[in-house]
Amino acid sequence: MIKNDPIIVANDLTIAYELHRERKKLVALQNINLEVDPGEFVVLVGPSGCGKTSFINAISGLVPKASGSVTVRGSEVTGPGPDRAMVFQDYALLPWRTVESNVRMPFEFQDLGISEAEKNKRVKECLELVDLTGFEKSFPYELSGGMKQRVGIARALITSPDILLADEPFAAIDAMTREAMQAEMERIVMETGQTCVFITHSIDEAILLGDRVIVISYRPGKIKEVVNVNFPRPRMNNSDVKTSKEYAELRDHIWNLVKDEASQTNRGE
Amino acid sequence: MAATKNKSLQQFDTDDPNRIQDIGWTFKEVWRRARGTVVVSINLITFFILWELVVIYADINPLFLPKASEMFAELWVGLTTRAPEGAVFSGSILDHFLHSFNNLMFGLALACLIGIPGGLLMGGNKYIEAILSPYVWALASLPRIALVPLFILFLGFTTKMQVTIIVISAVFPIMINSWAGVKTTEKSLLAAARVFGANRVQLYVKVVLPYTLPFIISGIQQGIGRGLIGVVIAELFGGSSGLGYLIQRSADTFNTAMTFAVLLLLIVMSLSLINFTRWLEAYVAPWRNVNHI
Ligand SMILES: Nc1ncnc2c1ncn2[C@@H]1O[C@H](COP(=O)(O)OP(=O)(O)O)[C@@H](O)[C@H]1O
Ligand SMILES: [Mg+2]
Repeated sequence: MIKNDPIIVANDLTIAYELHRERKKLVALQNINLEVDPGEFVVLVGPSGCGKTSFINAISGLVPKASGSVTVRGSEVTGPGPDRAMVFQDYALLPWRTVESNVRMPFEFQDLGISEAEKNKRVKECLELVDLTGFEKSFPYELSGGMKQRVGIARALITSPDILLADEPFAAIDAMTREAMQAEMERIVMETGQTCVFITHSIDEAILLGDRVIVISYRPGKIKEVVNVNFPRPRMNNSDVKTSKEYAELRDHIWNLVKDEASQTNRGE
Repeated sequence: MAATKNKSLQQFDTDDPNRIQDIGWTFKEVWRRARGTVVVSINLITFFILWELVVIYADINPLFLPKASEMFAELWVGLTTRAPEGAVFSGSILDHFLHSFNNLMFGLALACLIGIPGGLLMGGNKYIEAILSPYVWALASLPRIALVPLFILFLGFTTKMQVTIIVISAVFPIMINSWAGVKTTEKSLLAAARVFGANRVQLYVKVVLPYTLPFIISGIQQGIGRGLIGVVIAELFGGSSGLGYLIQRSADTFNTAMTFAVLLLLIVMSLSLINFTRWLEAYVAPWRNVNHI
């Protein structure tokens, strides 16, 4: 495989939901064309209900497409697979399991031919990576929101997936913790070289994390504009980035794009 | 690497000796633990003393309200004696209690055996749900007492009839709760398990079942309450043993102290069983009650 072949390709992807009660079909996403390169960090922004979650779920294999195609490394997505992992907005941790057991969950469901010792080592490594060593035996309800999401991230990293999908992972986390989590996210993705598709409502988060920011329009969801972000990494603890003129311009530009769409949301339906 | 950076975000290591501090047995700590028991004991003792005094000084006919002390005496005698071998009727509370208790346990076990798998199947398969749900709702909404004459007709004044009434009383809360547990399993937990590769069976065993377990237990808790009503009703209507029968007969023979003793025993039995299931629920699903602790 040539190094720069895109890893995810969406080709005229359309997703529709059947609204049985109204005997209608709701087209959530229409004719999306997008190529994501290996190791790239792509951020999706757009008003609520524009189809961001639908798009990421089409990549994860949770939502069937209506037409077009999504391929990962050239093969059609028909369902979830070990090459893709997901971080959820509401953490989605099993409340009856300890941190350790939650992180280990993907190993239980996927037979990757790894030995027990190897699995234990991976669990330990991943908990270390998200800075949760010492909390192996805690239950999710004993943790703060930020810590819960770190468990979610560790669980997504455990099988070393090529692609990390994240649906507003820090939306429910307080602002202080969120900054620390963003920095950690950037560090982890830089360290592991993973491809990341990330949804956020925060334009700052989008610019700080993304190599590209995709702005999606409202109903039917279409790609409105693709904005390249070229700041050097790491960006999170680099105050030069946030205070630069380009940053302010990018921010304004994306803000205006999203604002247009958001006002449509308020007007319509 | 990030370890020191995040210390400010109120993290302690679990092995950090400062994280867990020994409170010790201060007076305050002892009182905090014993408070509930002490208050309840004083409350109850006062209640029974007042009862005793009211009966003595208000000159109430013991046919209507016995002295509390007489009730306890009757209870003590009734629980420490048993009917002689070969007796046709027993006056021993213990004999009747064991009869009722065994029936209740047997009936509850049967109700669980029917209700839990039934509820799980209904929650898991929309065809089974569509077929069974009208019958379940119909029977669940029918006052179960209305069925008693019918069961007496079918089965006579037998233990079988009594157990059947307990089962029919207890099975629906258990079934409906199990069903609801499956249906309300959090969608995001299911999505997560699916993303990480769970197949249908694994989704059921590793997500739906553990999620439903506390629902099942609270179904059993409601089932105990209903089952006890079933026990007493079945025995009041027909039969020659059990606490319901004893209530009936002691009232008929104007032995009011005995009637009250049996009522007290029913209260104690019901509360013990319900508290046991509460504890069990908190034990298997500590995450559900975290806000109340
Ligand atoms: N399971 C579903 N059934 C019906 N409609 C849905 C479903 N999921 C999402 N939708 C609709 O599709 C649109 C896009 O939803 P979503 O992808 O969640 O948007 P976003 O994540 O950008 O807020 C919304 O209008 C939403 O109401
Ligand atoms: Mg969404």
